[in-house]
Amino acid sequence: MSSSVRNIAVIRAVPLLFWAALATGSAWPGTADSEAAAAKAASGAVQSWSKVRAELPTSQTLFPPGNGADIANAQCLICHSAEMVLLQPALTQDQWAGEIDKMRNAYGAPLPPDQVGALARYRLSINGRHPPGG
Amino acid sequence: MQQSIFLPRRRRLLAGVGGIGLTGLLGASTWNAVAATPVELPFANGRRELVTNFPQKGAMLLQRTRPPLLETPFEVFDQGVFTPNDRFYVRWHLANIPDVIDPLTFRLNVRGHVRQPISLTLDDLVRDFAPFEIAAVNQCSGNSRGFFSPRVAGGQWANGAMGNARWKGVRLKDVLERAGVKAGALQVRFSGLDTGVVAQTPNFMKSLAIDHARDGEVMIAYAMNGEPLPFLNGFPLRLVVPGWYATYWVKMLNDITVLDQADDNFWTAKAYLIPDTPFADVLPGQKGVNMIPINRMLPRSFFTNIQDGAVVKVGQATTVRGIAFGGDSGLTKVLFTSDAGGLWQQARLGPDHGKYSFRQWEVPLRLASQGRHKLMVKAFNASGNAQPDHANWNGAGFMRNVIESVSVQAV
Repeated sequence: MSSSVRNIAVIRAVPLLFWAALATGSAWPGTADSEAAAAKAASGAVQSWSKVRAELPTSQTLFPPGNGADIANAQCLICHSAEMVLLQPALTQDQWAGEIDKMRNAYGAPLPPDQVGALARYRLSINGRHPPGG
Repeated sequence: MQQSIFLPRRRRLLAGVGGIGLTGLLGASTWNAVAATPVELPFANGRRELVTNFPQKGAMLLQRTRPPLLETPFEVFDQGVFTPNDRFYVRWHLANIPDVIDPLTFRLNVRGHVRQPISLTLDDLVRDFAPFEIAAVNQCSGNSRGFFSPRVAGGQWANGAMGNARWKGVRLKDVLERAGVKAGALQVRFSGLDTGVVAQTPNFMKSLAIDHARDGEVMIAYAMNGEPLPFLNGFPLRLVVPGWYATYWVKMLNDITVLDQADDNFWTAKAYLIPDTPFADVLPGQKGVNMIPINRMLPRSFFTNIQDGAVVKVGQATTVRGIAFGGDSGLTKVLFTSDAGGLWQQARLGPDHGKYSFRQWEVPLRLASQGRHKLMVKAFNASGNAQPDHANWNGAGFMRNVIESVSVQAV
């Protein structure tokens, strides 16, 4: 059983029209099978299910050790997992501070303003570059 | 004349209504193997895990678990012009995604500057409106951002933040007509079931001009490639905006509000802005550029059966192929060169599935001399746009569409 099958479940009856619509009036490949399916639907041979429950995986990834990792783990992970941050290209401290400010100002991240500098320095130490001549 | 290698669409097996539902809802993936080997995308910090643990998804490149960002591995695009649902890329902004959706109680609300607000069930949509189908490419605004030079922050996608599907549903125009748009309507705003984790995060909403919303092509899809939409691609309803970037294709669509003034919400007014220049192209650090909401897509073409660094035999006949699309208008031609742009030849195009769809292209190739050869491919569209020679650049990493090239070694 693949994991993609494991973590989504279907419960209760689906509105019949909705599913029948997927199967009829189409010139797509697979139409013959679909028409057979629609005929079966019309005869009432429908399984009794419908609510769709999807279980999304959770991430175990933490920010790597360093001065400020505690802030990153406590604050950044509130709204998103760490992977995309760790996959960024090397950015300057100013660029990291800009990204962190965007999280605070545009998206309402509850990061205290006095932690922005420390978090930007941490990001620089993990995945940073210094500006040319800087 | 070589035999065509255009591939038939992958056939789906549907057995009974339970089969439709289960195929649609469970993904019924045949891809059970967990690929342990990471994939190296061709830019710095490009290592990506290939994961199989997302519902209804096969092997995908992991950009982020929460909210999910999953890239389609590029070899999928060599398998046909329609991207299978279980390999279609995934991009969410906000992590509070409902984990249960009940199609019986789900409602699509249409309200705002209308004569009669309405609340529609899925069966209402199917029963009361003429079905509409279109093949269209859905491409993330930031597709290919990882190739930007200098690099920019954001989702570090290679070329797999795009997909092509047959969308089936109803015209937005018909639904708006049912509610009765009042005179003076300016825009239509769309929102889905997802919300931010903290209350301060702006709800994800996007707006289109009223005339665009009523153009008869913008639609509300309840099916994708003949199946219910995968959960992560917006089950049960998704806005489809043919020819426009995917940021407008609101997932889990449940609210449509007609506005009599310009939408000033964050996601429409402040996010997803591009420089108002050809190809959204500016110089790094350039100031004083007028910014506008991202909109129409540009033409693109890709190689799908040959990669950079491939080795071929001198004098041996082979076929090079790929996919292309016109963006906001039909693909008119695809040109190919095997000598770095010295001589361009027209590629043969596969079946036409409509102006917003991927289309396959192919050319016979025989390299007569040893050494490196630079192959390039260039798409043209009916709006008069062609892919540019130099890569467009902007600070958000949007709309990359430079001519693609691969270097091959003839031995």
